[in-house]
Amino acid sequence: MIETFNSLMMGFSVAFQPEVLMYAFFGCIIGTLVGMMPGLGPLAGISLLLPATFGLNPIIAIVLLAGVYYGAMYGGSTTSILMRIPGEAASVMTCVDGYAMTQQGRAGPALAIAAIGSFVAGTLGVIGLMLMAPTLASFALRFGPPEYTALLLMGLFVLAYMSGGSMLKTLAMAVLGLLLGMIGIDVMSGYTRFSFDIVELGDGVGIVPVAVGLFGISEILLTAGQADPPKVQQPTLRQLVPTKADLKLSVGPIMRGSVLGFMIGIIPGSAHIISSFVSYGIERRLSKHPELFGNGAIEGVAGPESANNAAATGAFVPMLALGIPTGPVTAVMLAAIMVHGILPGPMLIQQQPDLFWGFVASMYVGNVVLLVLNLPMVGLFVNLLRIPYAYLYPCILAFCILGCYSVSNSTMDVWIMLVMGGIGYVLRKFGFDLAPVALGLVLGPMLELSLRQSLAMSGGDYMIFLQRPIAVTMLVLGLVLLGLALKPLIFKSKDWRSSVGLDENVD
Amino acid sequence: MRSRTRTRLGRSRGIMHDVNALSSGDGLYRAGSMGTMFAFIPSRIFKQGYFMKMFALSFCLGISMLLLAFGSLAQSQPPTFPVRPMKLIVPFAPGGPNDILGRLVGQKLTEQWGQQVIVENRGGAGGTIGLEAAARLPKDGYGIAMGGTSNLAVAPSLYEKLTYDPVRDFTPVINVALVPYAVALNPTVPAKTVKELIPIAAKKAGFLSYGSSGMGSMSSLAAELFNAMAKTDILHVPYKGTAPALTDVVSGQIDMMFADLSLIKPHASVGKLRAVGVTSAKRVVSSPDIPTIAESGLPGYDISPWFGVVAPEGIPKPVVTRLNTAIAGSLKSPDVIQRLGALGYEPIGGTSEQFTATIRSDIGKYAKIVKTAGIKADL
Repeated sequence: MIETFNSLMMGFSVAFQPEVLMYAFFGCIIGTLVGMMPGLGPLAGISLLLPATFGLNPIIAIVLLAGVYYGAMYGGSTTSILMRIPGEAASVMTCVDGYAMTQQGRAGPALAIAAIGSFVAGTLGVIGLMLMAPTLASFALRFGPPEYTALLLMGLFVLAYMSGGSMLKTLAMAVLGLLLGMIGIDVMSGYTRFSFDIVELGDGVGIVPVAVGLFGISEILLTAGQADPPKVQQPTLRQLVPTKADLKLSVGPIMRGSVLGFMIGIIPGSAHIISSFVSYGIERRLSKHPELFGNGAIEGVAGPESANNAAATGAFVPMLALGIPTGPVTAVMLAAIMVHGILPGPMLIQQQPDLFWGFVASMYVGNVVLLVLNLPMVGLFVNLLRIPYAYLYPCILAFCILGCYSVSNSTMDVWIMLVMGGIGYVLRKFGFDLAPVALGLVLGPMLELSLRQSLAMSGGDYMIFLQRPIAVTMLVLGLVLLGLALKPLIFKSKDWRSSVGLDENVD
Repeated sequence: MRSRTRTRLGRSRGIMHDVNALSSGDGLYRAGSMGTMFAFIPSRIFKQGYFMKMFALSFCLGISMLLLAFGSLAQSQPPTFPVRPMKLIVPFAPGGPNDILGRLVGQKLTEQWGQQVIVENRGGAGGTIGLEAAARLPKDGYGIAMGGTSNLAVAPSLYEKLTYDPVRDFTPVINVALVPYAVALNPTVPAKTVKELIPIAAKKAGFLSYGSSGMGSMSSLAAELFNAMAKTDILHVPYKGTAPALTDVVSGQIDMMFADLSLIKPHASVGKLRAVGVTSAKRVVSSPDIPTIAESGLPGYDISPWFGVVAPEGIPKPVVTRLNTAIAGSLKSPDVIQRLGALGYEPIGGTSEQFTATIRSDIGKYAKIVKTAGIKADL
């Protein structure tokens, strides 16, 4: 403990060097701006900035990139809440209730809670990382393809809790998402599916263009289709601050989201994306007023936002403790230090203590910087809503196209986004909920790959899922969740859906 | 009327005055903000007198540098090739060996020629999307790309509908570096050498499993060549990328993997992985203690993934030579040798013709491996 404390102090002495501090600030600001660009998420942000770090020393490089990373995580919530445009997959859930709050003139509290939740989750995450990184990392390594399959199945079962509308419509949308996820090269066989000879579709349909299209573009189209222009909001100062009731409602979701996000975050792979979906599902299930979800429930912002920031920190655990890049973002960050001739590996913490502790300390600093930076900015951001829609929407559209294009310099992504915008418009006109599409698209390819990897490992024997304790536990948990969700359908008993007037026929 | 005009005039003068005040104030303001941004620069630099002096000084310096530059230009051949910024396409996402090497080449060319080389990542479809874009670049040498064994030599036999022809559509410029691959075992596999590995793998079909970064990737081809030559049947578990696959070898979910040696080494040094053989024909300079697979039981086994610069077909010969000379020269500079050495990459260099020959012979070589392994991807 004392050793940890001493090391942390050493870390702070690194992090408080003026140069390091300056780059941490810099990273947070760039990250926030990048995150606010529709379609540009943390991965795009740090990929774009990576070349600029080659001239810096490795500590500064990683501090800068980490700043961009969680800055973008913060910033992503801003556009989701204000304009219903998810900056990345993790903020899809924030769009739903965050934007509903904006429409009720409560954008201020939503933004503030998102910032506070992110701060708490980020800080708890760093504490977890600092105290338990090596232990957690060895636990994370027990996650092979079978465990992954079980986890993703559990994520799929959460679907049942995600939507307030008709169960049939929710499942239809999830299937649409899963189908979209089938497009592209099949990793197992190398064959291309549903790409219609379009080379760019070989890598599949990205979640970012789909999410921006379904949520953002469709919103613009819907607004344009209204007979009367929506009233421009004039938020007053009092409306900017979350009320006591808001804060009280958010404490639980923030804490649960933090723990859940961190645990999912340390698992190698891209599972961290599902943390915000799972958190949303859980909060909805636990809430006394599930009918408010989707119509501006603050818990629906607090939970997922905390979960995705905690997951972002959790992802650093295996990266630092084992030198293993567990997802695309951490891979780019490791590349940034590899360029300097530091080969990341299990000895990274021992061999580069300055790097590790400086990085940990800079994350504490970064989280404070982001809170300080973002809370006062809430007022500024909310004032964006004062811009008349005739000017605001063309700008948003332009930024969406720009952001989508710059992720991988591909015009195909822009087309996908626009087509999805059209599809999203039609689906929303018919009262379909779109969040399950995003979840399906995220889960589909991962689930398929890990299922088939597991079967490749066992030679086609399904028993592999029952021989591994973690996998079994999660499958049972998932089945219980599924059972609870199906119970009202099977026994025709009344669940909250009907008791609040949300029936199969009512949307 | 008159008085009104006067007031107007007066006002406009006042405004003029204000404008002046504003502009100087603006300067001060900027200086102020810059002062906070670059707090480590003493603030007196931003004071105007000092600033003017600095400006004059740097202006003189700049002019003299320009004169010097022109002087050296006059000595060399008159039409020098890069007169404007260049573009280098890296057909993979940032972070991998292709990206690292591409950016290194870009940086070195920028340093030598003083023209910015803009690196553009165009990832996707195993590096073929970026090369397709590169094949369509203008034929003037201002657009080049960093290719590799996978998308220049393997792709033609792997993808039926490949939209470019590596031989016909490109002018090879220079082979930049060899990125050594090695076979890494999880330490629970009871084999210390490749010789011991072969009988264990041959004992029972599907007894051992290997991970790869995808069907048809270099790592899967290296393993399939191993399977074919050693007459083993090691089970293939493909992943999406090298990192997740290597993670699962470290954790023991799968038994082995053929991967970039620089990624294996840190784990091997602490006993989390066991590097039993390198895939190239010769031992790797940075790890001379690891034997080659060829010398430990499979003579003739050779997978040597390289990365090199190509330009669109039909660019002027002098431009190719100039690019080749510049990159070849930088591959001999101490800092490049040191940076590549830290990663275990081995500079290759050589002429454009040598690179052409390598690409041609490797296309034939991998066609055979792909055929024996029965891999086919219809892109």
